[in-house]
Amino acid sequence: MKIKELSRPKDLFCEIRREELIGLPYPFDRLEDIPEIGILPEEKRERFEVSLDGVMAVGIPKPKDKEEEERFIRGFISGLRKLLSKDDNWTFLQPLFHSLEYCVKCQICSDSCPVYIASGRKEIYRPTFRAEVLRRIMGRYVKNRRGLLSRFAAGDFELTFTALARLCELAYRCTLCRRCAQVCPLGIDNGLIAHEIRKVFSQELGIAPKELHELGTMQQLKVGSSTGITPKALANIIAFMEEDIEEKTRKRIKIPVDKEGAEVLLLHNAGEFLSWPENTEAFAIIFEVAGIDWTLSSELAGYDAVNYGVWYDDIQLARIAVRHAEIARALKVKKINVGECGHAHKAMIVVADRVLTGELNIPRESALPLLEDIVVKEKIKLDPRKNDFPVTLHDPCNMVRLMGIVEPQRRILRKICTDFREMEPHGVENYCCGGGSGFAIMQTANFPDWRSLVSGRMKLKQILEVFQDVISRDANKYVCAPCSNCKGQIRDLFSFYNVWEKCRIFYGGLAELIVNAMVDLEKPFIEWVWR
Amino acid sequence: MRVFLALLTYFSYFFIVFMYTLKIVEYLKMPLHLRWELYPVIPEERFKYGGSYMEEPLFWEKKRRRSLLRGLLFLLKDYFVLSEYFKRKRSYWLSLYPWHVGFITIILFHISCFFSGLLMLLGFRLSPSSSLVGSAFYYTTVSLGLLSFLTGLFGSVGILIKRLEDADLRLYAAPMNFLTYVFTILVFSSGLYAFFLDPSLEEYRHFWEGLLSLRFVDVSRETAIHIILFSLFLIYLPFTRSIHYITRILGFFLIRWDDRPNKRGGEIEGLLERELERKVDWAAPHVKRGVSWKENALSL
Repeated sequence: MKIKELSRPKDLFCEIRREELIGLPYPFDRLEDIPEIGILPEEKRERFEVSLDGVMAVGIPKPKDKEEEERFIRGFISGLRKLLSKDDNWTFLQPLFHSLEYCVKCQICSDSCPVYIASGRKEIYRPTFRAEVLRRIMGRYVKNRRGLLSRFAAGDFELTFTALARLCELAYRCTLCRRCAQVCPLGIDNGLIAHEIRKVFSQELGIAPKELHELGTMQQLKVGSSTGITPKALANIIAFMEEDIEEKTRKRIKIPVDKEGAEVLLLHNAGEFLSWPENTEAFAIIFEVAGIDWTLSSELAGYDAVNYGVWYDDIQLARIAVRHAEIARALKVKKINVGECGHAHKAMIVVADRVLTGELNIPRESALPLLEDIVVKEKIKLDPRKNDFPVTLHDPCNMVRLMGIVEPQRRILRKICTDFREMEPHGVENYCCGGGSGFAIMQTANFPDWRSLVSGRMKLKQILEVFQDVISRDANKYVCAPCSNCKGQIRDLFSFYNVWEKCRIFYGGLAELIVNAMVDLEKPFIEWVWR
Repeated sequence: MRVFLALLTYFSYFFIVFMYTLKIVEYLKMPLHLRWELYPVIPEERFKYGGSYMEEPLFWEKKRRRSLLRGLLFLLKDYFVLSEYFKRKRSYWLSLYPWHVGFITIILFHISCFFSGLLMLLGFRLSPSSSLVGSAFYYTTVSLGLLSFLTGLFGSVGILIKRLEDADLRLYAAPMNFLTYVFTILVFSSGLYAFFLDPSLEEYRHFWEGLLSLRFVDVSRETAIHIILFSLFLIYLPFTRSIHYITRILGFFLIRWDDRPNKRGGEIEGLLERELERKVDWAAPHVKRGVSWKENALSL
């Protein structure tokens, strides 16, 4: 295969074969038990450019005529120029420049990429592949190196609609976990390059997966949440949570909403309210018992910590970050604490740190150190024997490798569990769950199959390995994933492979485990019911 | 010939310094970017396990303990070890390491030649039997030269073979990469050949003495060929990715380890205010074109 062949029309540029994927431990070691990636229907293959690997994450419609194709290509080149402009891309110009200019293509990063390895080392998933394509396009079409010079200095590449549509899909085959960047001795970040390619498509051509843009950031800003929860629906959910808490714990707790001047504005990923209300309930119980002065917000976007902009669009990122900060300012809270959501952590605490100024620059921190403070200082009474099952910890990339929050969650688990075991590798060298950078919420066509079979495969392998000595159905096991998107991905992974049925491995957040260990609860908080 | 050699040497040094300076200035003049750090951040206190100050509640009220020196030493140390390659790609390291040792020692060799020339101008005699300083510089120059030519040649041949033989590397290599390898083979082999003809490198030191005193001297054809090739190589280097020796340090400190928090009223906030006033020209329908980033962020 040659890199320039990405431009050439072909029904399928790269085929993902089940037998080439990296093997899984028992009881998933039999190939015939594992499903294949679904084949896209003829109608989709006719209408959309999906010839990269037969998988559709974005789905760019094929152009109707030559003029539309040329307009598309011109738009992309124009976007590339803006990517190199101080005005249009001050946000990432220096990191992008560094990674484009100084990679020596030594491929040392390849083996650190879980997608590349799990796929059976498919060339298109190599971290440097999409970077090399972008570099060649930049060389020829932006820096105007033509003919021999182009081929000599950078290698040739012809820009066609097919190439561009494949490149766009390819930008959504990287979870932005940045494990590749971590091992690069020169500081090259191929994850960032995938991010920047996404930005050109979104910010210049208005192309992004609908779950990220239309149903994601746009819906969050207009309706209040990417889940579609409106402020009115939130009020109902909170009433339900209060009832549920009382039923489970016999504690009557009034969840504070829009409390002016509270110490803490707690921002949850709204996915928790819908899919894992036990997590938000657990936070309410812990904060109530520990005497934390806190509040939720019912303002548009104020009850949804997500910021999908961090994955594909700097402008959307800034809009949501500003919205969150404005809500905190209006409530006059002392600080914002981000609940168990990895990308919201990174977006709000780290990336948006260079978006928010003046009165919007409100202190923001992770909820994990606060939980650690509560647990370690014994502000609530806990008994680790209540968590007497094997527990492992999944490290969300955004919190750990990209933020350096590594130990608080571990210190909590060591204190509240009798059998806490680490996956290998873990901490800042962890593997992504396979749902990073928006994948966990992307449900288009056969993309979920791909993320279960390919991008989530290393994580499943790790989970199975860590529980291998207790893998049978006889014992309940718990994967603690303090991140909504990771939980969504683990839920889908486990459903795809039937992990709960076969191995009794459950998953959930950290706060639930803390509450489960509370001495004054009569029955376990964790219900061990697969939903 | 001697004037040509001298002028070429002056020019090549001037050119590489000028071009590298331009590139570094271009790098440093880029706007403040959004935070995009990656852990472990070595200057951080919790670097051993990759922790950050954000592990602490109310971290903005606490003093950060950072050691820039630790970061710098970490990077400098790796120039002499290339530890990630040793750990992760040993077969590549076997060529890459001597290749880099060749580069590092050829730089040190020229620095040593510069000081040798200076000492000779000051009246020192540089030979095995001269004073402590004289003999030290003699042996330093000779050993650095020999080490550089040997390791550099071994490494450049090895890396050329590795790039051709390893399909993963070959696929991504442009013709220019191979030109660079061939060029380095010529530079190091010409140096080695000249060394065999003049193992004391006497000519080289006299050449440098001439450069410093402006009383240029003739050298043998073999030494002249090496000087010409090395000078052309210096002129060629700015067109390659060779400046990664320097940009690596910038990239680590300004991007990968840049975890400086934006404090209200602080320097970063001042810089940000300026960046947020930049006009946006992105064309997608959801972007407000022609207005500032700040206005975009405040609008839908």
